[in-house]
Amino acid sequence: MRRADLITGLALLAFTALYAQQSFLIRRGFASDRLGPAAFPRLLALTLGVLAVLLVVRALAGRSDPSRPPAIRGGPFAAVLGLLVAYALLMPRVGFLLATPILLGGVIYALGLRAWLTLVGTALGITAVLYIVFARALHVLLPMGVLR
Amino acid sequence: MIERFALGAQIAFQPLSLLMMLLGVAWGILGGAMPGISGSIAMALLLPLTFGMDPAVALMMLAGVYIGAMYGGSITAILISTPGTPGAAATVIDGYELHKKGQSGKALGVSLITGTIGGIASVFILVAMAVPLSRVALAFGPPEYFALGVFGLALISSFVGRDLVKGAISGVLGLILATAGTDPFSGTPRFTFGTIDLLGGVALVAGMIGLFAVSEIFTRIAEGANWEQVRGKYRTDLPTLLELWKLRVATFIGIVMGTIEGLLPGGGGAIAAFISYNEARRWSKTPEEFGHGALEGVAAPETANNVVTGTAMIPLLTFGIPGSNSAAIMLAAMMLHGIQPGPALFERTPQIVYGLFVGMLVANVMMLVLGYLALRPSIALVNVRPPLLYAGILGLVLVGAYSINNSMFEVWVVLATGLVGFVMRRYGFNILAMVLGLVLGFMVEVNLRRSLLIALGNPWVFFTRPISAALLALAILTLLWPIVRQLREDRRARAVSAASAPS
Repeated sequence: MRRADLITGLALLAFTALYAQQSFLIRRGFASDRLGPAAFPRLLALTLGVLAVLLVVRALAGRSDPSRPPAIRGGPFAAVLGLLVAYALLMPRVGFLLATPILLGGVIYALGLRAWLTLVGTALGITAVLYIVFARALHVLLPMGVLR
Repeated sequence: MIERFALGAQIAFQPLSLLMMLLGVAWGILGGAMPGISGSIAMALLLPLTFGMDPAVALMMLAGVYIGAMYGGSITAILISTPGTPGAAATVIDGYELHKKGQSGKALGVSLITGTIGGIASVFILVAMAVPLSRVALAFGPPEYFALGVFGLALISSFVGRDLVKGAISGVLGLILATAGTDPFSGTPRFTFGTIDLLGGVALVAGMIGLFAVSEIFTRIAEGANWEQVRGKYRTDLPTLLELWKLRVATFIGIVMGTIEGLLPGGGGAIAAFISYNEARRWSKTPEEFGHGALEGVAAPETANNVVTGTAMIPLLTFGIPGSNSAAIMLAAMMLHGIQPGPALFERTPQIVYGLFVGMLVANVMMLVLGYLALRPSIALVNVRPPLLYAGILGLVLVGAYSINNSMFEVWVVLATGLVGFVMRRYGFNILAMVLGLVLGFMVEVNLRRSLLIALGNPWVFFTRPISAALLALAILTLLWPIVRQLREDRRARAVSAASAPS
């Protein structure tokens, strides 16, 4: 995990810098509070910075955990992530009842199931159950999109 | 005391409470049986549904899920040698051997009965310890609560997972996430990047669903996890009283170990189950049967993981420090309903605490009945192929996240934290520490600032008060311990290599 530690360490340092910089944009709170709203975040930024440097130094010194994470199937995972992001972007406009079965069918297909009847039936069935539970029983206002 | 239990029983025995608990226990058994859905994930998935409920009912339902999942996990452990929850990992050893001998029904029956015994015993332990401890907690002021939060985070960071640096990074990241939004002390907005969405903070519930549940599903999808199907028909074969009497030592060990591990942050059901298994073998009259299908090898871990359901509530209810994933979700549910755990909870809203106590007793009885009846549906669900199961969970997660605020913001939070959790799991970071930072961030910061306000800015206030000084000293020791251990191991390794090297 040496390379991974190096990369995560550097990414964390970048995040720390952004976070610390943002802490200077906070307006001061009321006067009786000695620390103010920015002090605790800055303390955290300092701690995270030190820990991230430790992670990087340890990786450079070759003292990282030598075990490797298990291999992954990049294709299906990337496809599912893509579908989820597309869903989050489009669902409010397309509507829950149309977007959800497409997403679920896509996820099932991307994960390798090719029995079409099962695929379509499950995608529609799950959508129906979710709709009944959330929209009907719990009165959640799900976006109706084009079906409105 | 007795009036309070009567009050609790009044809440717990309302038809609605009973129905919700029944649904919770059933969902827990089914979720627990499915590999990939642990008790805490089953609870997280249910969290958005508990919004509109009375807080006491919501907590009882979630506790029901937790209790049910502990039994559900043993179904797959016994039938296909795949623990449905981490707590059932130790059950695989002898449970699956019993299955191979054709005694699956007996193994399931022992798991169910000893689990129920453990669960009911744990409620009594919970009451016996939490009520006095809540009085101790009365002596706590802001400095003590600050020190306790730091101590809890230090414990989780250093004892869960192997890497202290990564554990600490995870905890601090959680605290950082908690600072986004409106400053709890002055009302000033911070780290909102100019958006309104972040004013309310990083949605706690969405963040937990992402870190616990979505990251697990992502990991399983990426690694292509699969499991066997259950073939054949099974029924639960309850043990006779004589058989149960023979298991008394193993059950007792499960109760003791489950109590100890439930109290320790980061312990949880899995560790309790393994320690009980080992101890039960050590104290058994027939240790040679362990590993070859000993009923004691099922009884001990299954008692222990159910005992943890009650004892994990002790540090949560009295001090507001959750020691496990499931307790963290209970805390999130409390915060959602504006309930602050601690002594005030016992005094001001006894109906919630005592309702939970009585409710957990009822839920354990429900588990006994439902566990017996729900074996077939559980097996049917286990036989659902992974792509369909993951699609169902993702659908539930997305709608659940949306329903928190009727907005897409929470959906994005769930997906983003799911991805962060996936990367963290893969590279050895500590998700529980991050969640704990997220839920405790508010308490740690507010009490730090309140203490300094009271002490007129003198930081020594944390070290001149005995309880807070002791807690902070313990926190420092906890963080130093892994470093000391590492140095000692290094020295030993060097000594060995020096001794074996040719002179």
